[in-house]
Amino acid sequence: MLRSQVFAVLRRPLFYRFVSTTRSFIPPSQLNHVGESRPRRSGVQELDAALMQEIADEVEAEEEDLDEIDEKPKPHPESPSFYTGRASYYDNLIELQNAISSTRGTLKRLHLLPLPEFARKSLIPMPTVWKTPREMTVDFETTITISRYRKVIALLNELNEYLRIATTAGYEEIADKISGIVTIFESGKKDAILTRGIRKPIELDRCGRSYTSGRRKTSTARVWMIPVKESPQEEDVDVEEVFGLPQSQSKAPAVNVSVSTILINNFPIVEYFPQPVDRERLVRPLKIAGVLGKYNIFTLVRGGGTTGQSGAIAHGIAKGIFAHEPETGTVLRKAKLLRRDPRMVERKKTGLAKARKAYTWVKR
Amino acid sequence: MASALSRVSASSSNVTKSFKIGNNKKAFTRKNRVGAFRSLPAAQLNLPIFQSTPPLPAPSFKPEVVTENTIGTVFAFDETKNDPIKHFGTPKSMLLEYRLLSQRYSVIRDITVITTEELEEAALEPSHQSNYVLTGPTGCGKSFVLLQAVQYCLAKEWVVIYIPRAKTLVNSTTMHTYDLRTRTYFQPKFAQQLLQRTLDVNSKVLETMTMREGVNFDRRSFPAGTTLAALAAGGAKEQAISSVAFETLIGELCAQSKIPILLAIDDFQALYTPKSSYRDPHFSAIRPYHLALPRILLELASGKRFFQRGAVLGALTTTDPKFPVTQELKEVLELPIGKPRSAYGRRSRVLEEYAEGCMNLPVPEQFSVKEAAAVFEMWMKDQALTAPANDEVFLSKYTESGGNPKAFVWQGILGTLEGASPEDVDESVPWPQLREGRVPLAL
Repeated sequence: MLRSQVFAVLRRPLFYRFVSTTRSFIPPSQLNHVGESRPRRSGVQELDAALMQEIADEVEAEEEDLDEIDEKPKPHPESPSFYTGRASYYDNLIELQNAISSTRGTLKRLHLLPLPEFARKSLIPMPTVWKTPREMTVDFETTITISRYRKVIALLNELNEYLRIATTAGYEEIADKISGIVTIFESGKKDAILTRGIRKPIELDRCGRSYTSGRRKTSTARVWMIPVKESPQEEDVDVEEVFGLPQSQSKAPAVNVSVSTILINNFPIVEYFPQPVDRERLVRPLKIAGVLGKYNIFTLVRGGGTTGQSGAIAHGIAKGIFAHEPETGTVLRKAKLLRRDPRMVERKKTGLAKARKAYTWVKR
Repeated sequence: MASALSRVSASSSNVTKSFKIGNNKKAFTRKNRVGAFRSLPAAQLNLPIFQSTPPLPAPSFKPEVVTENTIGTVFAFDETKNDPIKHFGTPKSMLLEYRLLSQRYSVIRDITVITTEELEEAALEPSHQSNYVLTGPTGCGKSFVLLQAVQYCLAKEWVVIYIPRAKTLVNSTTMHTYDLRTRTYFQPKFAQQLLQRTLDVNSKVLETMTMREGVNFDRRSFPAGTTLAALAAGGAKEQAISSVAFETLIGELCAQSKIPILLAIDDFQALYTPKSSYRDPHFSAIRPYHLALPRILLELASGKRFFQRGAVLGALTTTDPKFPVTQELKEVLELPIGKPRSAYGRRSRVLEEYAEGCMNLPVPEQFSVKEAAAVFEMWMKDQALTAPANDEVFLSKYTESGGNPKAFVWQGILGTLEGASPEDVDESVPWPQLREGRVPLAL
């Protein structure tokens, strides 16, 4: 065992004098004989009485200094595991272990551990995302290798299980204490990672507009939808009615209906899509959700051809309607309008003329 | 009265019929070539789907009817003896539409009211102060407004000269001959037809007007005091004198100040084409102002010649690539210029002069909801669609077309495959196509 290791373990070094390594140790009794045994080297001073006295004085001074230090106690390291070299890491491990053991005891006393199988299945799912080894390295100020990381994660997972049990059982105090520890080790990107793949609810901006995107084949559409503001209807003044004169011809009945305006790349729908098929495809989500005339729509569309662009805009409109009115979700989903149509152009294969078309079969 | 649906179905059968040359010698006549939407005689329509109660006739279009209160109401043009639709004709799309409808319907719009108000003012002023041109994007209803103006003025006992397809004057479809005296090209057949039509429509009024100066043609002479109707009749009878007769008629109409005159020209931009399709003996293109008839029209439209009372009303056609709206017209009418102008592009000073004085009368590009609803109801009563006439169909078609009149009618109502949902559906039948009766259960 190395001498340094021994001294590292001990709390107080035993021989202060021997710790310094600035010069080699010469016992005082041999100070007289220094010059005799050693071969002479050029530049080395011959030890005579004056030099010896100097050295002896120096040693005394050191002893005095060291005595002084002896009187002022050396400060203790902050943590008991200072000499592990990874104080932060081991301290945290110890803390986690303590937390686990205390929680285990509490839950056992509350008869929540060991939990039968049916109860375990009914626990509230609380998925978590722990910090990455890199993040833990920064926190613990030591390199977190995979094996160390696994140790930490094992303890954290056990703690998370106890948190689930406590939350499901309704013991809020215990749950709060555990979650206080657990949140320290949770990744900042937890929400983002957990909601990956799940449709995020689209929020309306301060003017009440929704911003959604739709795709079809290689086209992408960005759709902004805002509810139509109905201006107060101007009453047509019928002169004949006002003056009580007989009405000569039938008046047209008033039509109180708001109307949607659709602009695509700042063009009206008539100019952008000359084919009625594309126009009908665009308007279909509004029709099915029953919100014709309720929203004004502005879109920017790019890529693809007419079918792709009209399909992409329809997709975006359907998502926009869902954002404004979540009740229409069932109807739109049944009509497969909220679904991004996965059909894409099939690739050409080797040995075939096109994706499916084969070359003319020749008998010989 | 057969419905619109019967007309559409009949057209296809009629077309196939007309191609059997052995049976039908008139297969290649002009009437049959423009044969879309010709209706079968009512006696041949025996199937139950053709049996329908005819809709109530819409009120007649009269000048008193055009007021702000009636905006969004549908009226019908009556078939009178001097019906301008029959005698003068209409642009092709309007013709096809009227073949489909049971009556010649038309909806009053705000632009109709504005136009009629302008014409009322023009009745008291010389025509050079009322040179209007109806402009707007494709399918916004310029030709219909022009037709309404023609009907209005006719009912007010003006003299109306309506040229529904002015491009036929410059696209080399009618004979042209050079005249040494005037040094312009005459179009005798066109002039003859035009005189006949003008006479048919305006005979009553023209009978009351007489010529101030006598005129001598080669074989015919018309002394002073002859009625203008007789002059027109003489010109309509003989091709040789038709062009000069028309010129004289216009001169007499310009000189008198008793009765206002309306000159209505559809395809107005065709008159301003830089080169007509006609060729001279050297095979260079003849300019429209070197053709006698277009020249008269250009002079009247620009104010170089004018009626003492009356107006000149033109309507642009934006869908013809052979006769696009030229730069000169666009500048005068302050229309948005499409492509950036090239410094090397040719400009015609003559046409610039002829374009001076034209005033823009913009037609709104959208139906208002009220107008669209009236038009929708009119087509639904004529059973254009088997779908039920409800808010959903109306609003979806209006949204799809953006309110554009042509798109709303032709692609929205007539061009859609929407139909009525099947009735008496037996839910126990497994497959949708069998359930809805698309594929018969028992073959």
